[in-house]
Amino acid sequence: MTDAQIFDRGYRKYDGERTGPGGAIRTLVKHSVRHALGLRRSAKHKVIPVLIIVSAYLPAVGFIATAALIPGDFEEEFLPTYAGYYGFVIAAIYLLAGFVAPQLLCNDRRTGMLGVYLASPLSRPTYLVGKAIGVFVLLLAVTFGPPLLMLIAFSLQDSGPSGPVEWMEVFAKILAGSSVMGLMFTSIALAIAATTDRVVVATATVLAVLPASAIATDSLVRDAELSPHLRLANLPNLPRELIFRIHGESGLWGPEANPTWSLWLAFFAWVAASVAVVWLMYRRLLVRR
Amino acid sequence: MALVTAQGLVKRYGSFIALNGVDFEIEHGITGLLGANGAGKTTVLGMIIGLHPVDAGTLTVLGKDPWSDGHEVRERLGYAPEHHTLPPDVQAVDFVRHVAELHGLPGTEANTRASDAMWLVGLGEERFRPMGTMSTGQRQRVKLAQAIAHDPTLILLDEPTDGLDPLQRDAMLDLIKGVSANFAIDVILSSHLLDEVEAICDSVVIIGEGVTLASGPLDELRNTDAIGVDLELDAEPAQVESVASLLRAHGLTVTTSQRRVVVEGVDDSVFDLARDACVANDIGIIRLHRRRLSLEDVFLDRLG
Repeated sequence: MTDAQIFDRGYRKYDGERTGPGGAIRTLVKHSVRHALGLRRSAKHKVIPVLIIVSAYLPAVGFIATAALIPGDFEEEFLPTYAGYYGFVIAAIYLLAGFVAPQLLCNDRRTGMLGVYLASPLSRPTYLVGKAIGVFVLLLAVTFGPPLLMLIAFSLQDSGPSGPVEWMEVFAKILAGSSVMGLMFTSIALAIAATTDRVVVATATVLAVLPASAIATDSLVRDAELSPHLRLANLPNLPRELIFRIHGESGLWGPEANPTWSLWLAFFAWVAASVAVVWLMYRRLLVRR
Repeated sequence: MALVTAQGLVKRYGSFIALNGVDFEIEHGITGLLGANGAGKTTVLGMIIGLHPVDAGTLTVLGKDPWSDGHEVRERLGYAPEHHTLPPDVQAVDFVRHVAELHGLPGTEANTRASDAMWLVGLGEERFRPMGTMSTGQRQRVKLAQAIAHDPTLILLDEPTDGLDPLQRDAMLDLIKGVSANFAIDVILSSHLLDEVEAICDSVVIIGEGVTLASGPLDELRNTDAIGVDLELDAEPAQVESVASLLRAHGLTVTTSQRRVVVEGVDDSVFDLARDACVANDIGIIRLHRRRLSLEDVFLDRLG
């Protein structure tokens, strides 16, 4: 009897189980997240996403350090609430949405990877679902991660929620709020990215449309004194206002002028409209090879 | 059972009719999908993959409808697209592994098989290079590797020798032939190059102007029986014509083209007559052999 073993058998038949469309979506999400973060790519592809993500955590780290170093009721008076934190990182969320969605959607059309994907068990809808989950997961890194970090740090410093029930309640509110923010930005950014295969054009459009909608609606409501319902077209502040309402805070606009139900209605309408745009663009897209 | 069966296949893009009643059956082995540029080859490949629905007729791939049972069909297919614009900053082995995972292989298996496939196509040492730094020949091999890494039943190769020099082209054709023979993977090779299809294919489907011009085993289409004698001479055109006149005098049907004389009829006496005609004109013979139909003859004949 010999101890010899064959370690490398070379190319051979595969008779094992296959993971099907579910596995294809999972691998698409994993690959999309890695690709957008520049993993297994050269260093220059890592710089922008890392800088954006780090910049979203810096205020949280600063607040945690401040709360730790300055004793007393400083936290309640000066530190932002979990909902208020998004005011400090909204630019990072813009940037990440504008950077990631075009990277993941436009490049596949430009490089012909879309044809390779659609020659796999993925279909157009499952491909788009995989890409949307990829963008959403990346956005959660900046919408969910920093408030969660603050929650954990404050809890460790004994200045967080009192008791596990309250802790879970705050955690659920943070998760719901960050999901609202992530869903809104994912859908808008993907809708814009679906209309062009040029990454730069899509990125510039995302970065222009989001603040432009805020400036335009604010000036129409505040300066021109038009209906406060126009604020429902304020794309970045609509999810922020919803997050305030989720946390039971008064927010930016006040519940009298813009009732909560109208915010939810507008939020789902924007998400549905964005999904419709993406689907229409991809349904019509002729993938010839 | 045939791997692919098409009956009365019709595909329209608006008012343009890309396919207008295409019929064929593709059996095991290597099948060439032939046609001029714009003949509808890529449309046929797209329908086999399930990218486009059939407007009329039926199409069955591996016993299933590729449009309604898309993912089950595509799981068993490998596809190498014609274009070379793969993601330039992605390492070749990562790309191959990703495609293998998309086709249902678990991560560790996809990892191993991606490397194995890269070694098989001769890029084992180059597998960690970004695809943007690779030559056209290397990218063609990467495309073949990603098509086979998940062990498909059938692979579809769209112009796999596009952009290759003659040596690279021969090597690629040998590789495709080896993959099919050694691993029992059936191949559909879309090409407009008749000689490469003739070199490695067992069967062909010829498409032109949206209809099937011919389909079946290559040997049947070419008709292996000789159809005449081909004579290549070391002579001036006037001398060639003189040889042709002598042969015509014996009642033979003869055509000439530069230094070639083609004589219809397969009787051994034709060889003696051809030799004697050359001797009578004091002309050297470069080549004298039985003539069989080439794929080009079939193609031109069916195109009318």
